[in-house]
Amino acid sequence: MKIKSLSTDIRLLLVLLPLMAALALLSPRFLTLDNLTNVVWSVCLIGILASGAIYPRITGGIDLSLGSMAALTGIIVDMFMNRFGMHWMIAILLTIAIGALIGLFNGFIVAKIKVPAFVVTMAAKTYLYGVGLVVSQGAMLAILKPKPFIAIGTGRFLGLPIPIYIMFVLASTSQFILKKTAFGRKVMAVGANEVAAKLSGVDPDRIRLASYTISGVTSAIGGVVLASLTQQVFAAAASGIELEVMTALVIGGTSPVGGRGSVVGAIIGAIMVAFIINGLNLLNIPAPFHPIVTGVVIIVALLLNEGYLSPKKGSLGSAR
Amino acid sequence: MSSHAVRRIILLGLMVVIVIMITLVNPVFLSTGNIMKLFQEASQTGIVAVGFTLVMITGGIDMSIGAVIAVTSMVCVNFLSYTHLPVWVFVPISLLVGVLTGLFNGWFITRFRLPEFIVTLASKSILTGTALVIAVKDSMGFVQNVYIQNEAYLWFGGQSFGLVYRATFAFLILGVATQLFMKMTRSGTNIFASGANPQAASLSGINTSKTVIGVYMFSGLCASIAAVFISSRMMTAMHELGIGSEMDVIAAVVLGGTSFSGGFGDIWGTMLGAFFMALIKNVILKMGISPWVQPIVIGGIIVITVIVDVSQKKLADKLATKAKLRKLTAESGQAAA
Amino acid sequence: MEINGENGAILLECRGVSKSYAGPLVLDKVDFSIRKGEVHSLVGENGAGKSTLIKVITGVTNRDSGEIVFDGTPIPIEHSRKASQDLGIAVIYQELSLIPGMTVAQNIFLTKEPLLGHTRLIDVRKMNKMAQALIDKYQFPLKAAEPIDRISIAQRQLVEILKALSSNASLMIMDEPTSSLTKTEVEMLFSIIHTLKAEGISVLYISHRMEEVYALSDRVTVLRDGKLVSVLEKEQISPAEIIRLMIGHKLEETALHHHLVSKNGKVVLDVEGLTSVGKFADITFQLHEGEVLGIGGLVGSGRTELVRALYGIDSFDAGLVKYLGRPFVPSVRRSIELGIGFIPEERRLQGILATQSITRNIGIANLDKLAPIGVVNGKTERQYSEKGIRLLNVKPPNPEHLAGNLSGGNQQKVVLAKWLVRDLKLIFIDEPTVGIDIGAKEEIYEHIKKLAGQGVSVILVSSDLPELTRLSDRVLVLRKGKIFHEFKECVLTGEMILRVASGIVEEAYEN
Repeated sequence: MKIKSLSTDIRLLLVLLPLMAALALLSPRFLTLDNLTNVVWSVCLIGILASGAIYPRITGGIDLSLGSMAALTGIIVDMFMNRFGMHWMIAILLTIAIGALIGLFNGFIVAKIKVPAFVVTMAAKTYLYGVGLVVSQGAMLAILKPKPFIAIGTGRFLGLPIPIYIMFVLASTSQFILKKTAFGRKVMAVGANEVAAKLSGVDPDRIRLASYTISGVTSAIGGVVLASLTQQVFAAAASGIELEVMTALVIGGTSPVGGRGSVVGAIIGAIMVAFIINGLNLLNIPAPFHPIVTGVVIIVALLLNEGYLSPKKGSLGSAR
Repeated sequence: MSSHAVRRIILLGLMVVIVIMITLVNPVFLSTGNIMKLFQEASQTGIVAVGFTLVMITGGIDMSIGAVIAVTSMVCVNFLSYTHLPVWVFVPISLLVGVLTGLFNGWFITRFRLPEFIVTLASKSILTGTALVIAVKDSMGFVQNVYIQNEAYLWFGGQSFGLVYRATFAFLILGVATQLFMKMTRSGTNIFASGANPQAASLSGINTSKTVIGVYMFSGLCASIAAVFISSRMMTAMHELGIGSEMDVIAAVVLGGTSFSGGFGDIWGTMLGAFFMALIKNVILKMGISPWVQPIVIGGIIVITVIVDVSQKKLADKLATKAKLRKLTAESGQAAA
Repeated sequence: MEINGENGAILLECRGVSKSYAGPLVLDKVDFSIRKGEVHSLVGENGAGKSTLIKVITGVTNRDSGEIVFDGTPIPIEHSRKASQDLGIAVIYQELSLIPGMTVAQNIFLTKEPLLGHTRLIDVRKMNKMAQALIDKYQFPLKAAEPIDRISIAQRQLVEILKALSSNASLMIMDEPTSSLTKTEVEMLFSIIHTLKAEGISVLYISHRMEEVYALSDRVTVLRDGKLVSVLEKEQISPAEIIRLMIGHKLEETALHHHLVSKNGKVVLDVEGLTSVGKFADITFQLHEGEVLGIGGLVGSGRTELVRALYGIDSFDAGLVKYLGRPFVPSVRRSIELGIGFIPEERRLQGILATQSITRNIGIANLDKLAPIGVVNGKTERQYSEKGIRLLNVKPPNPEHLAGNLSGGNQQKVVLAKWLVRDLKLIFIDEPTVGIDIGAKEEIYEHIKKLAGQGVSVILVSSDLPELTRLSDRVLVLRKGKIFHEFKECVLTGEMILRVASGIVEEAYEN
């Protein structure tokens, strides 16, 4: 059995560049700095979430609660700041801590009770949405203050929107952890062969607990950025973003079978999808067609990602 | 007594208790009108849940059912708005939406061994877009809310024998027929086998790929059928109809005792689960509890039920191993003597 | 009544069957035949070719050359499982072939359930009745409507047999059917085999247990190194003779008369009364510094379970373990910290991270050295990897090469390498050279000897008898979970180990 070598990231760039070239040919507006910045900006949230969601995925699970978590944390941080009057920095830190706790909770059910990950996180997606509804009283709340908080999402630094920097920092940190730390090695090992990893002294349960916690943290950060960026919070924010994150991860070469994954690849994958959507926009193809194209892209990405030959029945992308 | 039976009794018992409690607080609850409405609610979810149960029995999952409902209702609306085709012609055609989606899902899943979850999410995405594309729009291109007035079509959403909604009849008939099919035909047995142990099933001559594709097609069909009843009852159809209804369906199926790992499933349980979910939702409404609590309840029910199921299975396995070991030691003790 | 298939009619005939898996011949022009109504045993050591022959007959894999004729029908080279089933060849597994959640009757008649009249509905009552009739005919302790999840392994085997019978199988292949059975269940199986024989059904019986082979067989075929050695008729069958033929007088045999030399240094591992219910009991021994302790025994005798417990993977129920003089509660983490390593039985499933590079594979057990503060030092990681590749002579010597793409021998070298680059004091090795070419085998043996020479203690579990005799300083033979015999300070041959493992004790071995 031939196993794909690990230069997926390079391979992705080789697809991305012709794609950009094609789009540039199709529409003159494509290669403008404005347009490109907008595209990367739209990818920020996905990039932030993917930085953390990649961990559960590599270990063979999945985190489907990303959207609800982001929405809920946005509502919570707003509540802390504007209802409880907390200082915005403390509010953010506390919110991220909550995100970590929820992630830990999910991870516990997956790792210790051994319930399939996709059920746990899918159920979480639902009840966290409900919690969001309750806390926000079903309303869409506008965030008008504090100013520093709003600057996070809407401000610019050296001409580029701040969220891009946030994504960059998170993504590179995550990539670093994954590729260059003992923890990252253990995560990949658990994904590649849990038994062999265990025999080599790795504790798969603990790795899984940490993975879901990390995903919770990035979801919270994403929620904060989203709230700041759009200056509003509501329970259904970021709904459905899980699919976009999963697509980015799949295109980026993350495979639950084989313990492979790359945050950089996921970002490139997200950018690719964003380019495609951007291209559709520039070509004036109406909005309803976008999810159709996304769906087709996912299937194509899955087919090309040979890693998905899971012989287990009911593999669910190996969410076990 | 089988674990399925125990579970059904518990569900039924819980339901009885809840009904008693709510009636004490709110006597209006037990009125025929309300009960029938409840049944209708349950049927809408239940019809889809029956098909979904079969998918789960094979160890898979179908996240596209909500989108199938949306597209099917859009197709019907289109037929109603733009053609004069009689209902008995176009409704069966619209059911093709679900069948073809199932074919698509099943084929990709079996032929390329792609993960069920992501494939059906992808088809959900495609269908969601399609629903919006084919939605009836006004001259400005905005989506129009179509009010259905076609009497033949509205028949589906109505009541028979004065009180019972036709959707309820459909649900009950579908449920019974499917249960019979699963338990009493070779094809049904083959579905169970394909989910419980695909290698053994295939060794015994079962074409597991065909079985799985068929199951997804049935799931899609059920979603399409539900779409007709739902849009008819509501007398309108929006392109978001049904999107997000997956959780409801999953809750019903999981409550009923079907497990995600495949091989085990109980249509009676699913039906009870559908009634249970409808009851809970109705109670929440009647008790004046905020509707926002609903997702919490649904998500909570799902996760708690699955935790209980997994833990109970682990416990049962542990006890079985202990018993086996006891037997082994007894035997070796005898042998030594 | 026909006994011993005396009518002589041949049911299955293999002529000159050969097979290789891209390399040395696994089956070398094997002739093999089974008569109608006979119980025929197939014996041979691990790697002798038994399972490959079975796979070729049942269509799991295809032979390279030779003829196979079943009941007059020639079997083409492109044989399939389904085809062999249709012909009437049935294999009795223990778990794999039954559908959980279904009853005995449902399993027996899967896809062939009797129908009600002209409908498509299953006649459940008729199915249960038919199943019960079948059960009663053979007097099996089964109930037609019982779910198979609740019955024992022995009973499940019976269901498999019934399933085969209901599809009119004429040949039943049983591969080590008694490894999980109790004594009474084994006796029941034997009587069933006799009943089958009486019905004219042939049974192909594969087992390591000589007493079973002796008790059951009409004829015995002995394979060795992929070749047919001998076919014994009933009168010629004796456990000792079978073992002699299995081992044979290979050229290397002379080198296998190994003189066991005692190592009486410091006690590294002190095990007392170790017991794990259902797996092993009362294991007591001491392991000395630089000693290679071999553990022999038949499949299912508890060897792997024992080393897994000692390393800390599985827990045990009773007993004491002392490591380097101090009481030790085994856990994988602690073991690794204290200089203990483990090479698992199944290389692909348990040993390597197939989708990762050699460097990663070696690194995963050494993260304490590579990343003392959490961040991996790339240089050190590379050094460890190169050191491991060099020490073990891994080919190709490319640290980034994916472990899954290496040959079996090189994969095992990588598994070994990740321990060798550490400060080892003790290492458990379980079946180190299964499916590995001769060259790599020898290299691995050299490393094991070198390790011992450096003062590392080795516990070696192996079914490869020459390997066991060559490398060990002492050999414990396990039988049914207990230490049956210890070989030390004597001249040891593989044959001796096998005889003891099979329960044949001779006074000359008593020390």
